[in-house]
Amino acid sequence: MSKNVVIIGAGAGGASVAAEAKRMDPSLSISLVEGGPYTSVAA
Amino acid sequence: MPYYIGDVIKEEKRLIARTPEKFRDTGIDVKLNTSAEGIDADKGIVRLSDGTAIPYDTLILGTGASAFIPKIPGVELEGVFSLKKLDDAIQIKNFINNKECRKAIIVGAGFIGMEMSEALRVRGIETQVIDLLPRPAIRWDPEFSKVILEELTRQNVIFSGETGIVSIEKGMDFRLRMKSTRGEMDADIIIIAIGIRPNTKLAHELGLQIGKSGAIQVNFSQRTSKEGVYAVGDCCEVYHRVSHRWVHIPLGDVANKQGRVAGRNVAGGTMIFPGVVGAQSFKLFSLEVAATGLDEAEALNSGYHPVSNIIWGNAIARAMPGEKRLGLKLVADRASGKLLGAQAVGTLGAVNRINALSCALWTGIALDEIAYLDFAYAPPVGPAWDPIHIAAQELMRKL
Repeated sequence: MSKNVVIIGAGAGGASVAAEAKRMDPSLSISLVEGGPYTSVAA
Repeated sequence: MPYYIGDVIKEEKRLIARTPEKFRDTGIDVKLNTSAEGIDADKGIVRLSDGTAIPYDTLILGTGASAFIPKIPGVELEGVFSLKKLDDAIQIKNFINNKECRKAIIVGAGFIGMEMSEALRVRGIETQVIDLLPRPAIRWDPEFSKVILEELTRQNVIFSGETGIVSIEKGMDFRLRMKSTRGEMDADIIIIAIGIRPNTKLAHELGLQIGKSGAIQVNFSQRTSKEGVYAVGDCCEVYHRVSHRWVHIPLGDVANKQGRVAGRNVAGGTMIFPGVVGAQSFKLFSLEVAATGLDEAEALNSGYHPVSNIIWGNAIARAMPGEKRLGLKLVADRASGKLLGAQAVGTLGAVNRINALSCALWTGIALDEIAYLDFAYAPPVGPAWDPIHIAAQELMRKL
């Protein structure tokens, strides 16, 4: 049964969490919720 | 983003490290233009603005921070912008590309204000910067502010210190007219850059502990006070290795690291984020401006006995033609001789000196070792006795 991981915010922080968690454990069910139109902005 | 606005970075897509498609390719569900409206912690559910609710076992708050907009009349007028998200940058750039922008006022002379003054000048816009404080980039010593001010003046950027914004109105000859505590000014575009506040609304709803800094409290694993909830990036605190305090230092490189640490832990790994020493820098036209660690006031506040010195050295060997003046300030603890902080300003090599000293701060070594550290020496990049050696040796004599 895969864990549900919900990330609120897809900026530098949230996007990094998503990428690393998925890499480490591909069985995780990950949702990346972003209020704006862009992900992973280097700013 | 200032580099995108200044058209040094031409396309906004270059600012995006990973597109939604890349995430979806790996099986991550990406929901854009969707905000989290509320969290039901007992049920483990996040309610979204699209009307759906998604369940979670583990929740990560990466809610960032928002530009602080003062509640003054006129901030909502066309031509008034703040800069925090990519969307802001795209709007500003489109505005400059499509509308007449002869004059600009930047409110706030910190990092964003400084970088934006260069971006707007590069676009050929007459630029003025105002700040409540008497000098720009207040983190740096007054002697270095002088150098920064000289550079601003050389580049035709007017700085007005001890100047507060009172109101903004529609202008006559220009799009906007700003009333300040020191008179009225015209502008076609106004950038508000006076600071950011962490977005902690959801954290408050969840009852998470908020730190003294106002940002979400986390531990070294990026865990918050609530089981199963993490926080990363601009919304949360970070550990300062020199002051031994949890502080709010919102920087993109820190967010990346915290995100990776949290991601590893969420997936069952074990990783900590060991904190920061406070390294920071910006470029202003021909100047590199950098700092790390604590200044005297912060050092005193943290319980140290600070002593400091400033030297003006050469970033290249004296034998080489031309001189690259480098100002270097060190702060050390009188009791232990430990380096506590450093600042540097110059047209070459300021950042690399501060990076070297950031490593010294990380390891906690004292001035006597710093005075003899091994650097990659060659006449075009440094003198045999580097400004770091000279500054450390001089400061040791003051201990």
